[in-house]
Amino acid sequence: MNKELEHSFVELLEKHQNIVHKVCRLYTNNYDAHNDLFQEITIQLWKAYPKFRGDAKFSTWMYRVGLNTAITLYRKSKRTINTQDFEGVAFKIKTEDYDDTEEQQLKVLYKAVHQLNDIDKALVFLYLEDKDYREISETLGISEVNARVKMNRIKKKLKTILNP
Amino acid sequence: MDELDLLKKDWNKKGNQTKLSAKDIYPMLHKKSSSIVKTLFYISIAELVFWTLINTIPLFTSPAYREQLDHVYTNKTILAGLTIVSYSIIALFIYLLYKSYKSIYVTDNAKKLMESILKTRKIIKYYVIYNLAAAFVAMVIGLYYGIKFNPEVSGKLEHATNGEAFIIYGFLIVFTLIFVLLLWLFYRLIYGLLLKRLNRNYKELKKLEV
Repeated sequence: MNKELEHSFVELLEKHQNIVHKVCRLYTNNYDAHNDLFQEITIQLWKAYPKFRGDAKFSTWMYRVGLNTAITLYRKSKRTINTQDFEGVAFKIKTEDYDDTEEQQLKVLYKAVHQLNDIDKALVFLYLEDKDYREISETLGISEVNARVKMNRIKKKLKTILNP
Repeated sequence: MDELDLLKKDWNKKGNQTKLSAKDIYPMLHKKSSSIVKTLFYISIAELVFWTLINTIPLFTSPAYREQLDHVYTNKTILAGLTIVSYSIIALFIYLLYKSYKSIYVTDNAKKLMESILKTRKIIKYYVIYNLAAAFVAMVIGLYYGIKFNPEVSGKLEHATNGEAFIIYGFLIVFTLIFVLLLWLFYRLIYGLLLKRLNRNYKELKKLEV
């Protein structure tokens, strides 16, 4: 029975792993940290899996567990903290000559998103994943109105970064 | 076009850069979690064991301590009553902690999850405060009776002037306070480091509600 459960879980995770990778990409900034967080999210998903009922979509459920692990449960191990990278990014944003090409814009945008705080990142992530405000508010435990207001603020913030 | 929509277009375009096979995932299921809930769980177990040992070890290893207890609590029923009360309090904390751990669901929404963890941490905090207070009271009572029933010390104190006695008592109180303060700082450090990120994110979520 346990083997069966394990098998079905691994099959589902393998299919939807992209969601977890995206969370890791957003919340970490190097290879080791990415793997570390992926591992922890997998453990949390697996621990919660017996309680997973088919009534929720596996992918929807993964968003919640993935974000909860990244924002709340995950304890960064020493070797994965890489503050220098982060400061480097901040420096580059300030000094990089602004180029109007889309690619350059995207580069700056990704860097800017990386600099947001954990909660703002979660909002942006769900938005990028095409979740509506109801789902965003339910995932984070805030009201729909507040999610909307916050999202607008983040958009404004990103706009100023792009058009200083 | 909105900046975020530009990002969205690219975000969804980008395929899977890393792809793990089932063979990579299987071993992950059996690795140990390093989540803060797990760490918090170990800390609370350590707290329970540590404080229970602190309170009971001298009872079995030091005849002098037992003798002193006999002096303090000449009435056996009072001693038995106090023991029952203190063990009931430990049992109560174990029950509360157990219940609180059980209510931590990774599938709750982010805010609820943070609140459950903070509640658990609060129970551990109360347990520590209870023990510190109990240790402080026991120390004061112990000192008082220790002085009273130890002929050598009480003799010396009798001959001491008011000023000297004041210094001795003052020294003892300051010493106890420093001890409690150090313990408190130690706890602040442990929990401060462990829950720094959680606290920061929780504050951020709360801020959205104002």
